[in-house]
Amino acid sequence: MANHRVGETGLADSGPSSNHHHHHNIPYAVLHGMNVPPSFMHQEGSAFDFGELEEAIVLQGVKIRNDEAKPPLFTAGRPAATLEMFPSWPMRFQQTPRGSSKSGEESTDSGSGVNTISSKTENQVEPESPISKKTSSLDQQQQVEMASDISRTGTSQNQSAAAKTPQEKRRGSTSEKQLDAKTLRRLAQNREAARKSRLRKKAYVQQLESSRIKLTQLEQDLQRARSQGFFLGGCAGTVGNISSGAAIFDMEYSRWLEDDQRHMSELRTGLNAHLSDSDLRIIVDSYISHYDEIFRLKVAAAKADVFHLITGMWTTPAERCFLWMGGFRPSDLIKMLISQLDPLTEQQVMGIYSLQHSSQQAEEALTQGLEQLQQSLTDTIAGGPVIDGMQQMAVALGKLANLEGFVRQADNLRQQTLHQLSRILTVRQAARCFLMIGEYYGRLRALSSLWASRPRESMMSEDHSCQTTTELQMVQPSQNHFSNF
Amino acid sequence: MHYQGDYYWGYYMPTRSIGSDPMERVVKLASEKAVVIFSLSSCCMCHAVKRLFCGMGVNPTVYELDQDPRGKDLETALMRLLGNSQPVPVVFIGGKLIGAMDRVMASHINGTLVPLLKEAGALWL
Repeated sequence: MANHRVGETGLADSGPSSNHHHHHNIPYAVLHGMNVPPSFMHQEGSAFDFGELEEAIVLQGVKIRNDEAKPPLFTAGRPAATLEMFPSWPMRFQQTPRGSSKSGEESTDSGSGVNTISSKTENQVEPESPISKKTSSLDQQQQVEMASDISRTGTSQNQSAAAKTPQEKRRGSTSEKQLDAKTLRRLAQNREAARKSRLRKKAYVQQLESSRIKLTQLEQDLQRARSQGFFLGGCAGTVGNISSGAAIFDMEYSRWLEDDQRHMSELRTGLNAHLSDSDLRIIVDSYISHYDEIFRLKVAAAKADVFHLITGMWTTPAERCFLWMGGFRPSDLIKMLISQLDPLTEQQVMGIYSLQHSSQQAEEALTQGLEQLQQSLTDTIAGGPVIDGMQQMAVALGKLANLEGFVRQADNLRQQTLHQLSRILTVRQAARCFLMIGEYYGRLRALSSLWASRPRESMMSEDHSCQTTTELQMVQPSQNHFSNF
Repeated sequence: MHYQGDYYWGYYMPTRSIGSDPMERVVKLASEKAVVIFSLSSCCMCHAVKRLFCGMGVNPTVYELDQDPRGKDLETALMRLLGNSQPVPVVFIGGKLIGAMDRVMASHINGTLVPLLKEAGALWL
């Protein structure tokens, strides 16, 4: 292993060594003490004639190879080959040695690994790519390796690096003329490989993005489960930390949320594609049925575990903040929509305001009914002369059972409100309206995640806080969180 | 004795009342006033429905079945009428059956409740 710091000679492009960039005008070969034909030395500026450089290196490599069984050609040739990829750009050739060094010298790279690395090399050659950020200490080391190996005879182990390796070079290209033809072919292959590797990189990044989204979702679920465990920890009779009815509903709800995203994108594409009204009507109607479904599910959930619904443990914290009787408050929803639904006809405006008014009245009535229930419950279990404890409890249980009715009526109110909205609005307006609703609740949910993952001083939060505030969490992907209720 | 068609709540019992059909009573009571609510004083949902109408400026006629000696029969009749396990609350407007709380709210939301009330004379602009 060579000890001299090749990085400091300008091969590294990370921050600290940025002052070495001026080295890029020095021919690579010269930098490393290779024998360079004098004609080459007169090159200046950033526009290298890489063909000649390559040729020089190749010749050097050929010479070396002729002395040795294993050609370092791959090693030597590679940088030049990749350099040639983007001839119009001022090459920061110092990257390539790193790249190619990775492909070779000593590491544990398998054949496929080499391909990846060579693709990384190519990627680094792309314009405005934050290459410096990708520098690793390993790179540095390998640069060292590379440099040293260039000067000696290489122990190239990258025969398997077939990607753009000039196989044909190995097959006895000794004359300039042969090289030119083969060079061209190789360059074409390089471009192809670079393109492929860019596509691979894109796919990889996509994968990372979706995993990140999944991760945040999982963490959300985990937090929810944990918080439920925290609250229901003392509950007797349940094996897990959450009643089975509640667990079932949570599962159904998360599946519903996924469906919601699908419906939302259908709405979006339907609106953007300017579908006919009848086609759009189909999409809108299916979205309404989608909501009908969650209300159906909530009926069963209210029967199984009304407290789960009414305490909002099935939603995210931010949603819970606005919770009314186990769900959203219809008049609030309409208030949110009113400003965004323009343009509306006068009749529609009247319809919307009357809808808001009547939902407010209904909400008020239900709220007062619930208050009376609470009062009655308090009266039942409050102190006073202890008549009969068990009797008291039995009566109280009977009264508690009424909670289910209130949650059901509240859900009924929500459902009716959504249906009425779709009656008042035109198809396009309804599509936009439902999209807005979905996006609104999606943002509310995203808010909850962001809030949970914000950095905090104290490490002693008892429940939902995610102590690991990674960049991934702080930067939420906008698209996926904009959905559903 | 011929049938006395008038029933005053818990006050005057016609001779035929003992055998009279509870359903008939329900219908009869329902058609006497513009807005009739059958309720139980202990029922919170009934309280909610009463609050709803009062909040709209309507003055409903409320029959608390737990304060009626034959309230149980009426409850049974109402359950049959609704096909429901909950006898109350039940709302009649202009003698017509509207239904339980969910129907009342649905009709309020879709805008049909107010016209019905006006038609029955329970609401003025």
